[in-house]
Amino acid sequence: MGQFFISILIILFGGFFSLILVRKAKFAKIITVFLLSIGCLSGLMDAVLNLIQPGIAGASFKYLNVFFLAFRMDGLSGFFLVVIFAVCLLATLYSFHYMEHSGNDVRTAVNYFFFSILIASMALVVTAANMITFMLFWEIMSLSSFFLVIYKHHKAESRKAGYLYFVFSHVGAMFIFVAFGIVYGYTGSFGFDAMGSLPETAKILVFIFSFVGFGSKAGVFPFHVWLPHAHPAAPSHISAVMSGVMIKIGIYGIIKMYVLLNFHTPIFGNIVIVAGVVSGILGVVYALGQHDLKRLLAYHSVENIGIILIGLGIGMIGVSSKNPLMAVLGFTGGLFHVLNHSIFKSLLFMGAGMVLHKTGTRSIDALGGLIKKMKITGTTFIIGSLAICGLPPFNGFVGEFFIYIGGFKGIALENSVFAASIFAIVSLAVIGGLALACFTKVVGVVFQGEPRTKAAVDVDEKGPTMLISMSILAGACILIGIFPQMIIWMPIKAVSALGLGYNPIDFESILQMTANITLAATIFLITLLPVIAIRWFFYRGKIIRRSGTWGCGFTQPTVKMQYTGSSYASFILDFFRPVAPLDEDHPKITGRFPLKTYYKSQVNDIAELNMKRVVVNPVLFLFDKLRWIQQGDIHLYIGYILLAIILLLVFI
Amino acid sequence: MIESIILWLFAISAAPFFSAMILKVKAFFGGRKGPPLLINYYTLIKLFKKGSVYSTSTTIMFKLGPIISLGSAITVLMFLPIAGQQAIFSFNGDIIFILYTMGLSRFFTIAAAMDTASPFEGMGAAREAYFPIICEAATFMIFILFYRLTGELQLSAYFSGDNTIALWNLAGAPLLFIIFSFFIILLTENSRVPADDPATHLELTMIHEVMVLDHSGPDLGLIELGSFCKLFFYSTIISRLILPFDLGFPGLAFVLYLLGLALVYIAVGVIESIIARYRMDAVPQFVLTSFALAFFATIITLEFIR
Repeated sequence: MGQFFISILIILFGGFFSLILVRKAKFAKIITVFLLSIGCLSGLMDAVLNLIQPGIAGASFKYLNVFFLAFRMDGLSGFFLVVIFAVCLLATLYSFHYMEHSGNDVRTAVNYFFFSILIASMALVVTAANMITFMLFWEIMSLSSFFLVIYKHHKAESRKAGYLYFVFSHVGAMFIFVAFGIVYGYTGSFGFDAMGSLPETAKILVFIFSFVGFGSKAGVFPFHVWLPHAHPAAPSHISAVMSGVMIKIGIYGIIKMYVLLNFHTPIFGNIVIVAGVVSGILGVVYALGQHDLKRLLAYHSVENIGIILIGLGIGMIGVSSKNPLMAVLGFTGGLFHVLNHSIFKSLLFMGAGMVLHKTGTRSIDALGGLIKKMKITGTTFIIGSLAICGLPPFNGFVGEFFIYIGGFKGIALENSVFAASIFAIVSLAVIGGLALACFTKVVGVVFQGEPRTKAAVDVDEKGPTMLISMSILAGACILIGIFPQMIIWMPIKAVSALGLGYNPIDFESILQMTANITLAATIFLITLLPVIAIRWFFYRGKIIRRSGTWGCGFTQPTVKMQYTGSSYASFILDFFRPVAPLDEDHPKITGRFPLKTYYKSQVNDIAELNMKRVVVNPVLFLFDKLRWIQQGDIHLYIGYILLAIILLLVFI
Repeated sequence: MIESIILWLFAISAAPFFSAMILKVKAFFGGRKGPPLLINYYTLIKLFKKGSVYSTSTTIMFKLGPIISLGSAITVLMFLPIAGQQAIFSFNGDIIFILYTMGLSRFFTIAAAMDTASPFEGMGAAREAYFPIICEAATFMIFILFYRLTGELQLSAYFSGDNTIALWNLAGAPLLFIIFSFFIILLTENSRVPADDPATHLELTMIHEVMVLDHSGPDLGLIELGSFCKLFFYSTIISRLILPFDLGFPGLAFVLYLLGLALVYIAVGVIESIIARYRMDAVPQFVLTSFALAFFATIITLEFIR
């Protein structure tokens, strides 16, 4: 693990230099970006090598006596390390020009400092080999990302987002603490390995607590409330990392707990599938209703976490019903989607960052026609959109294909598995359709048509490193979509490292599937050639004119008459009205010569609405009643601490 | 293989002919003589002879739309067993690829419509994005049933050779549901009455037709050919489902297949003649019926097939 720790050190040095060289901002940024990139690159190489030759590398540091730190790198952590380092590398590259003219050197330096800590802590979480190490870096990860979210701390909106994120990540951490506490209570050790010896009821309890805890980080409905607030508040490369990578650490936690508990009950699989379906469908429905580009993308993270969970759930059901192929397909599909989502979601956030940078607005309905001036951003964003909709021949399709096939394997089994599989497959189909509706809305309203406001008129795209990162990610979307066998071995290695009783994996049949995907994609691309040829043939030497859009007889169209994102989505949102209540504010038009009017609409998230009613208000009420404990006197507080310790000593 | 390719070419070239049958049936119900059966070929030739006018708002996406929609329609036909013959290509899971390729074509059709900045096309696009979601769910439900019956996930396993007869023998009654369900999907996906009216003259009430308002010349020709092929794809499946017989004489299966196709197209024509299109907000309920039918069919088989 030597190279791994050196990479982490280089990354941390990068952050450190950005702080101490804050006076020479330009120089500091070059050094920092360089060191972060080198660190990520070296970490990436190490992780890939580790995956190629699966071996379990470990290291432990016993400085802290009982609470010693231990690390271990196996197939699963190797896979997540690839995702972490690859996306962080490109995000770092992207940040070089994105953070230009940020106006405040200190803030930029602090941002890079916490960014480096975030990368390092994420890498250390997935390699942690005992609970102490895991929780230590988990907390560092949450805190460093909290500081990244409140980057624009002078804005009330950002502070609120940061506060919400802080509360959620800590309540989530509490749940994980409870889960680990139960384990410690039974086994008396902080090691992960003893977890398999727990009694079955305790295992179920531990799984549920840790699922809530990790789910709140991953953005599983209804613990996702922080996500659509925090992602838009952070700078775009941070949103890319948070959405592309950090929330996946929650997924890592869920898989890890499932493997460690080693309890193959259908309950776990069913919980995960239901959570996945609910997150998937509601995530994309709320995404449809958003007016803010980055918020919309944040809700899509909820959706994709749902798809990943559906995959994992199918895998778990495959394990519990002793169907090895279904298990492998489900887990492989889920993990593949982790990788794919990290690629296209960071691409989309980077594209959104570019739009925000150049137009100064995140409001979808204020934009339009951007692709004419921002060719690379527009093209890469469209590629990312196609990928996130799961359409062939892009990478999103591959992961979903495996999940579908895994789900169909369950159709042939007994009734309870059959029901779960139907649920999963039909939901995946609906999610796919809704995602397509949502991204045609984004692409159509933001990048196509005519500019709706002045903000979208005079734009350009500059910043070579930003364009390069986006192009690399878009290229990866296409390449993996057509040749999935280049990457498929990574999730397969990770899945085989889980050791859930289906080894050795039938690698041949999986390779056959990827070969089929390649074949199908090639057929499609080759079929396009004669069509293009026919088109070219018939347009040869013809007169081609340009004119205004046909207005169905109306000759004075204005840009304001274009369909907006809100109206585009309203058809579908109507259908989902019970779970996505719509607030409209629109004064009635009266009189023969109506005055200027307005229309405001907002789609409410039922989790957010009910959180206030069910959780926040009762808690506030309770704590209001306990206000008398707080006297503001330091002696009294020391007294409280003493009293608590004495009580603990007496009772335990 | 050669036969399959010939049948594929036949499908692409015969698709416009069969679509003209719908017009003929409608004309019959209207007491008119109707256009000749080759009308669609004349239209295509006319379109391909023309030049084009592009809106100043449009970009490359507008030109990609027709290419992708025709390209995906003919790609999908390659995976379809026509007249009980083997498909040109077939692999485990090809139906997922087929459905998602149709999704790809939808994405580009919508993107091409949004490219024009026209409010009418945006409206059509919003509807086009909505109704197929339910269709997709229903289609998956149907394939879940087929998978339960056969354990295979490819069109060849359902529609080539004796496989369709085998399906009938396994679960005849649920298959009746499936035929209706599939017919509803056909009507919705291909923008026919009562989900959409291809012959309406008011842009506000259109779905698919309004999305191609700005296309002209060869581009429009590609789109038209693509939609003929798409309708042909669905009709072929239903034709095979209603007339799955293979009586042993070479060529007879093909005749039966043509007969089935004619029946489907005539049924579409009859429906267009006798009922009006539904109000926009009633369409989702109509489409949901197909999902419900497929769902019940699947539940029924749970009892019979172990």
